[in-house]
Amino acid sequence: MAEDQNAVDLELVRGIKKGDDQAFREMVDRYHARVYSLAYGVLRNPEDAEEATQDTFLTLYRKIGTFDESKKFFSWFYRVALNHAYSRARRRRPVSTVSLDEALPRFQADGHQASRELAAWADGIEDEAIAKDLAERAAGFIEELPEGYRDVIWMVDVENMRPVDVAETLEISLAALKSRLHRARLYVRQRLSEIAAAPAATQKRGAL
Amino acid sequence: MTHDEITCRRLILECLVDYEDGTMVEAERLQLEAHLSHCPPCVVFIKTYRATGRTLRMLKPREIPDNLADAVMKFVKERCGEKK
Repeated sequence: MAEDQNAVDLELVRGIKKGDDQAFREMVDRYHARVYSLAYGVLRNPEDAEEATQDTFLTLYRKIGTFDESKKFFSWFYRVALNHAYSRARRRRPVSTVSLDEALPRFQADGHQASRELAAWADGIEDEAIAKDLAERAAGFIEELPEGYRDVIWMVDVENMRPVDVAETLEISLAALKSRLHRARLYVRQRLSEIAAAPAATQKRGAL
Repeated sequence: MTHDEITCRRLILECLVDYEDGTMVEAERLQLEAHLSHCPPCVVFIKTYRATGRTLRMLKPREIPDNLADAVMKFVKERCGEKK
């Protein structure tokens, strides 16, 4: 199915490169909802998400000539969309990136976990309101990640793209991709767990 | 590798991503699951790791504004002359 999707994408890409207006319109129809959905996830504001979507398609129109047709179109385009969303986000609220090492779990010398984890927050996501609140927080935590980690977790975990396609787009090995993905997940997991461990702050936001 | 070689550290830092996407070698998977059978903290860790993934998937589909596709076309057309 992914191959079929890419075959259709490539046909449209070639049409756009030749100046076929209908091909561009079809590409907009095909992907505007996914681009908007991504932009909303990053920006969490409908107006900003709509503007980021428009900018993304403008870039597609202007830069389609730089797309290497041996790559998967959607992974390339998704990164264009991510970059637009995050550049808009940075204009709005500069965020400094974090040290991933500080969020790694702690272990004893014998390899056992050094701290006891709280499982309660994981049960809490059965409640839709709590899950939505945590998702909003998680989006903020992803924003703190270095770019290479941020893009990977968005593409694989949020967008459900195939890791092998993402690795190809980022021009890294599958092993490197999995390593980044895991580190990014560990970071977000740690920060979500910290929320659970600080009930006062969470209650203030009306969740849990 | 013996059963004892799967520590919490190894499970969490090295094996978890392959375990979760189902690409772990069968023999190692069985060893990992043996570790889980006697390590409640790792069971909790995996639970929170999976909950993180489920939380992230909630960032997906939102309501899409009506006429967004038309607005995109209009925007591109305005900036690229009458080509579109």
